[in-house]
Amino acid sequence: MSRPRWLPVITWVYVAWSLLPVLIAIRFAFNDGRSRTSGQGFSLRWFWTDPTLSVRNDPTLAAALEHSLVLAGLAMLLAVPLGTALAIGLQRWRGRGSGVSNVLMLLPLVTPELVFAVGLFLLFTSAFGFIGLGTTAQVIGHVTFSISWVVLIVRGRLVMIGNDVEEAAADLGAPPWQVLKRVLLPLLGPAIAASLLTVFALSIDDFVVAQYMASGADTTTVPMRIYSSARAAPTPALNALATIMLVLSLAALALAWLVFRRRPESLSGLMR
Amino acid sequence: MSLVLDHLVKRYGDVLAVDDVSLEIAHGEFFTLLGPSGCGKTSTLRLIAGFERLDGGAITLDGDDIARRPPHKRPVNTVFQSYALFPHMSVAENVAFGLKYKRVSKSEVARRVGEAMELVQLGHLAERRPGQLSGGQQQRVALARALVLEPPVLLLDEPLGALDARLRIDLQVELKRIQETLEITFVYVTHDQDEALTMSDRVAVMKGGKVEQCDEPRVLYEEPCTAFVANFLGSSNLIPATVSEGALRVGEFTLRADVDGRTGDALAMIRPERVRLEPHGTGGENRVPGMVEAVVYLGFHQDVRVRLASGALVRCDVPNDGEAVEHSSGDPVCVHLPANCLRVLEP
Repeated sequence: MSRPRWLPVITWVYVAWSLLPVLIAIRFAFNDGRSRTSGQGFSLRWFWTDPTLSVRNDPTLAAALEHSLVLAGLAMLLAVPLGTALAIGLQRWRGRGSGVSNVLMLLPLVTPELVFAVGLFLLFTSAFGFIGLGTTAQVIGHVTFSISWVVLIVRGRLVMIGNDVEEAAADLGAPPWQVLKRVLLPLLGPAIAASLLTVFALSIDDFVVAQYMASGADTTTVPMRIYSSARAAPTPALNALATIMLVLSLAALALAWLVFRRRPESLSGLMR
Repeated sequence: MSLVLDHLVKRYGDVLAVDDVSLEIAHGEFFTLLGPSGCGKTSTLRLIAGFERLDGGAITLDGDDIARRPPHKRPVNTVFQSYALFPHMSVAENVAFGLKYKRVSKSEVARRVGEAMELVQLGHLAERRPGQLSGGQQQRVALARALVLEPPVLLLDEPLGALDARLRIDLQVELKRIQETLEITFVYVTHDQDEALTMSDRVAVMKGGKVEQCDEPRVLYEEPCTAFVANFLGSSNLIPATVSEGALRVGEFTLRADVDGRTGDALAMIRPERVRLEPHGTGGENRVPGMVEAVVYLGFHQDVRVRLASGALVRCDVPNDGEAVEHSSGDPVCVHLPANCLRVLEP
């Protein structure tokens, strides 16, 4: 039976439809002129060479980029270990309350981001006023909503690994921390890497929480910067900034792919 | 030198998985826990290994109480049904895993890993990953990984369950060889009666968390104490009967049998291969007439099913000695139930 021809056609139309806006945005990042709507040659003006308005030379753009990366880095460093530990704990929790905790854990995934952000805003301006708004609040916000994703990813992997290998390691004489170090963490490697990537992507992409938790110019992230200047005086430097973000995300993906291509057995062993 | 299970109890919520199990397993014994799934055999094994917490009773190994110790501090090792090999380590690394906690020198580790791999005939695969091995090879690695620690007791949880029939028979022979060579105690869990009969020194048949009967394979087969054991090990005819005045009655026929002081309703048990098929009208004791209901050809023997007048169905194995069975369904015949082959069991 031959497959219908229109299936690949639909697929390719969809791919083009979803990629085209991105490609157009990237195209204008390299525009030589000031327009973001008509092609005016090619240059690196908006990335590097423009003395005042390029990503390199406009301090607000460079600062936004740096702040976004710092936030994403901190979110990764905090959310992934916390989420992994939580996933392992929840996986072993058999007693009363484990079912409820599982549902609660997934709640942040379906809570509207705006509701979540407003809640946090009230929290940090009243009950936990000592924290206040700013970078700390932004990091806490990002960590809070990313942990659910980390737990989801790591637990999926834990289910796949099963209890057997942990029991086997303990049976062979390994004390609990050795079981973690020699067996569980190596096997969780792919899930932890996937979590790091996911948290990075969530944090870099986030606008609502970062906006609500922000306390001024030095806590402006890239999405916030793009949003605010899109209405004021947009230049292709914004496209350049977005392009840099895209390249960074793709680089992270490529890195992960390279890491796992080098050790395929860690995956294949569990795919049986 | 023995492993003693003293009144073990394990509950999962309201379910009694292990219900007052007491067993004494001698040093160097090949001991099998046999039963259908859910009978508590694996739970009992997991209690010995330390993966489950005991709700009652005690486990002692050579007099030491090990029941309160975590699994990594118990001198027993386990071979898992799923093998549970570490997929991120080579075969040699898998086998060497436990030696790290035994305080042995590097050269000693290499020597013992080498020996264990030779014992299971896998020396040439040391650098492979578990994912690159066949099921039988993975099972051998799991065995080597446990045996390298020279445990006094090895626990095996349906180790051959995931293998195909032919490989299973090869590995049964090999397991028995290894157990006899190393002279260590094997506690073996299986639901396969053939496995239990061929390898074990003693078998405990379990049902509903309790031990139904524990004895040598021959005794279990020849002298089962309950209908469950009779049915689970091999096949058997269980004919509803009554015992009155020291005689066994099946319908209107009286049979001679050792009634063992029983009275009232009973089951007359006889193995199909002990039932003799004779022409209709043959006289003598313990002969009951019936009607052939079906003849099933099974290759090495034929299964002849005879319906007695009392309504009971008696299966009779007729060995395939080259001569075709002259009976066909509908024929009147006579079944001979020799008195020394009949056992009277509780219904």
